[in-house]
Amino acid sequence: MKTEDLIRALAADSLAEPEPGRWVLPLVLPAVLVSLAGVLLVLGARPDLAQAMVSFVPVMRPVLSLALFGLALSAALQLARPEGRAALWPLAGVAAAALGLLLWAYLTTPAEARMTALMGRTSNICLIAIPILSALPTAALFAALRGGASTRPALSGALIGLAGGGAGAAVYAIHCTESSPLFYVTWYGLAVLAVALVSALLGPRLLRW
Amino acid sequence: MTGTDGDWAALLRAALAGDSRAYRDFLSAVTPVIRGIVRARGFALGEAEGEDVVQEVLLAIHSKRQTWRPDAPVRPWLYAIARHKVVDAFRARRHALALPIEDFAEILPAEPTADPTERGDIEKMIGLLDPRAADLVRLIGLEGATTAEAGAKLSMSEGAVRVALHRAFRALARLRERHVE
Repeated sequence: MKTEDLIRALAADSLAEPEPGRWVLPLVLPAVLVSLAGVLLVLGARPDLAQAMVSFVPVMRPVLSLALFGLALSAALQLARPEGRAALWPLAGVAAAALGLLLWAYLTTPAEARMTALMGRTSNICLIAIPILSALPTAALFAALRGGASTRPALSGALIGLAGGGAGAAVYAIHCTESSPLFYVTWYGLAVLAVALVSALLGPRLLRW
Repeated sequence: MTGTDGDWAALLRAALAGDSRAYRDFLSAVTPVIRGIVRARGFALGEAEGEDVVQEVLLAIHSKRQTWRPDAPVRPWLYAIARHKVVDAFRARRHALALPIEDFAEILPAEPTADPTERGDIEKMIGLLDPRAADLVRLIGLEGATTAEAGAKLSMSEGAVRVALHRAFRALARLRERHVE
């Protein structure tokens, strides 16, 4: 087929596809709600949830997680356009805030209590639950952004994983009663990074175009 | 036929609003530029295979045209798509390209140099579509039928033709993805 014939046929197809961001909300919102329902029904909310939402150190857990979700999603949306550049410094800001909190907790926790605070009692379930709760939001983001055209699919995948992991961590925080940043920055961080790593590996395959 | 970025943007905006004529003008205007990029970046492909890549880029522009922001310049978007597809094309043809073709130059039968814009890759992919969709793409592309004429010939409503054509190009884009892996 000649190039001009192909052009003629392409021009005749005037049905529009949705914009790359069009499906994010309709897919991600139900996915997050399912994860939320999972936490509430299977694990249960922490009994002192209302109290935990108003004191600074525990509330930073959902705040940092949600910031990660929002900023990583916005960067992933920028990268969904072929010429897009993702601004990564806001994400570095979230990482710096988390590490700052970790350092602060290290300095203010007595030396003999640090190990107990770091290991907590629920690190295993945290490492399992966060990736499970992140799976659906991450899958929803991949499905929504498949219509995009990222020219850096591994980075796009990593950003999608960070966003999905942030959503999963925020939802898990409703259940989790571990209050030391030594615990939650470490284990939440590891769980979210694992989700991001897997997503980065899946990116080139799932976001191919 | 080239133009300023503003001309292209105006054409592409009209195209996205459903103006097929403007869309055809847009694709015709950018094709020489794409060909230039493909030749500059993918000179090892040769002229004929390069035209396959030009057609792949056009198909990619088509299937991803909604990723252009109507208030953004066209060139950075277009160049990013072209670069991405040229890299893809090299990946897909890596083994073929690793062959030092000069060594075989004397043995290879001299092919009649046909019109280099007449390319086979897209034709092969069209052949993989279901027969009705393939007929439709050929009717409109090769015979220059309008969607209404194609509908009359295949006894489909014009609306059904539009949907079928749209699905055909989506299927072609998916076939491309698998072809590269």
